[in-house]
Amino acid sequence: MKPQHPARAAALALAAALAALPAAARAQDGIATGNTSAMSIAFSNSYAGNSFRQVMIKSFQQIAAQAEKEHLIKGYTVVSANNSVTQQAAQIENMILQGYKAIIVLAGSDTALNGAIKDACGAGIVVVAFASGVTEPCAYRVDYNLDSYGKAELDFLASRFGNRKVNLLEIRGMAGDGFDKRLHAGVEKALKAHPNFKIVGQVYGQWTETIAQKQVASILPSLPRIDAVLTQGGDGYGAAMAFQTAHRPMPVIIMGNRQQELALWSKLHAKTGYETFSLGATPSVSQVAFWVAQQILAGKKVPKFVEVPLLTIHQADLAAWLAKIPPGGVANATYSQALVAKIIDANVHHTALPGIPAPQ
Amino acid sequence: MSLGRLRLAVPPWSYGFLAALALWAATTLHSGAGSAGGVLASALAFAAFTVLVGTGQMLVIASGPGNIDLSVPTVLTLASYVAMSVMAGRNALLVPGVLAALLVGAAAGALNYAAIAALRLPPIIATLAWSFVFESFAFDIGGQTRLKPPALLSDFAAARWGGVQIVPLAVMLVTLLAAVMLRRTIYGRHLLATGQSERAARLAGIAVGRVRLAAYMLCGATGALAGVLLAGFTGGASLNMGRSYLLSSIAVVVLGGTSVSGGQANAVGIWGAALFFNLMTTMLNSFGFQAGARFLLTGALIILIVAIVPRRRAA
Repeated sequence: MKPQHPARAAALALAAALAALPAAARAQDGIATGNTSAMSIAFSNSYAGNSFRQVMIKSFQQIAAQAEKEHLIKGYTVVSANNSVTQQAAQIENMILQGYKAIIVLAGSDTALNGAIKDACGAGIVVVAFASGVTEPCAYRVDYNLDSYGKAELDFLASRFGNRKVNLLEIRGMAGDGFDKRLHAGVEKALKAHPNFKIVGQVYGQWTETIAQKQVASILPSLPRIDAVLTQGGDGYGAAMAFQTAHRPMPVIIMGNRQQELALWSKLHAKTGYETFSLGATPSVSQVAFWVAQQILAGKKVPKFVEVPLLTIHQADLAAWLAKIPPGGVANATYSQALVAKIIDANVHHTALPGIPAPQ
Repeated sequence: MSLGRLRLAVPPWSYGFLAALALWAATTLHSGAGSAGGVLASALAFAAFTVLVGTGQMLVIASGPGNIDLSVPTVLTLASYVAMSVMAGRNALLVPGVLAALLVGAAAGALNYAAIAALRLPPIIATLAWSFVFESFAFDIGGQTRLKPPALLSDFAAARWGGVQIVPLAVMLVTLLAAVMLRRTIYGRHLLATGQSERAARLAGIAVGRVRLAAYMLCGATGALAGVLLAGFTGGASLNMGRSYLLSSIAVVVLGGTSVSGGQANAVGIWGAALFFNLMTTMLNSFGFQAGARFLLTGALIILIVAIVPRRRAA
């Protein structure tokens, strides 16, 4: 049936939608306070078999349990599929039947879950996909923007070196990998703003310290003076070891928030005043997805793509972070409801994303 | 037939050295004479670990057709974790730590051979299966954390005496020992005899089982030793430290002139092959090839070397 009066139908729909929203939720910025205490949120995770995912799940459970205690939600569940998209699709279908008001998805595939996600949207469920490139347009996406990674690295170096000529060594991830390609594209894009920066060498460190060390050591003898090293995470420590064993001056190596990288940085700082910068993704991005879902349920207007800020560590916060991270660990943050509301607002207004505060 | 005569004049194991020399020259031409020393030093430092792991692998491969140790990377990791745990960052506990690692390596080798002999599993399956077990042990001990080495071990791993790197020198000594063992000792002769024909060896009164058991145990021990040194060199034991030593340990053995089907081994050739692989990485990195071209050239160069190495005619 075609609507007779499209304008009236739209107005009616709008009125209905507004009526469904609690009054306070219509406010634009800040935390939406619509009542979500009767709603449950589910998390469908594609795979739980590595430490990054374990921390990711734990972070989610921690924040969801706290929200439950504070009566912000009624309950939550976490279900992991064993890297099987059919299993994950079935789990999402089950969540729809169980009456969850929001489903958070870490998808095992960008496309294979589209059917299940569409079913969920059709049932009026808010779907938030994070750290995955789900293509179904009804889902909200919460993710990092890899262009920001390269840009942050180069912006820091620009602040350090100004306009003088800078020789860079770029450590990439794995040849042919999509993540590596996107991150490298971001570096190339950001390089255009800095004509005084020149990449004089490039190796593939596979995000693994020992491999990064070997690759950097192999190219170093053929390179001129290196001022700074661009990294992708998991390779900073290996690069430092390679420079050390080759008895070359330590360049500004961008670190990737690993404990041993920060410990080394701190040690070098005490000895020689060495300063650098560290950045990385956080496994607790699952918490951002949780609060985004909760905020949508509470009536906040959220864009379809929410960019999450990278966790950056500067010299001033180094000691505070280092004290917080267990040996062998990666810097992780707890995202509060207020911080996520600020992240959403920054995405709405296209302003700079809020930084993640250093631990007290 | 001049090519044939040339081939006879140059022994198979030396092809790795010749290829390594060519790559070294090419890299030096490209990046200037000043880089020659640094390039060689870096290649020697990393080749030493590959050679150590490869020497153990060579003994296993030489012990007969089908014998191979796929658990080497995880034995290396596990032993390294055990050593770092025992040492607990203290110089005084260096020796007990090394001994513990060697013990773990040898035990792992014994377990490998036990599965092969007792359960009649093909070595490729038995050692692969054990590698999962060893990895979970390593995970249990240290998990994702990086266990730091004592300062003395780090210093030793990077030490130079008058410009000569100590670890490569020590590994050359191991190579020499292995070469002498293969040629001059009863065990070495038994090992090669077993590899050539198990039946003939058995009929000649050789305890074939014990010979192979020893080969697997020695392989575990050299892997363990490499793990300890690598932890010193890279700043600690980590779960993925052994990752790149699976295929490379086998490749250097075969390229070094050891027969894949066993019965013939060459310890010195492993050095040539290991230097070749490391200098190839250096050359491809220095020339700044795109990733695709790097893989292509790596494959092409390996095939080229293997193709020009003369093979023994089957008797």
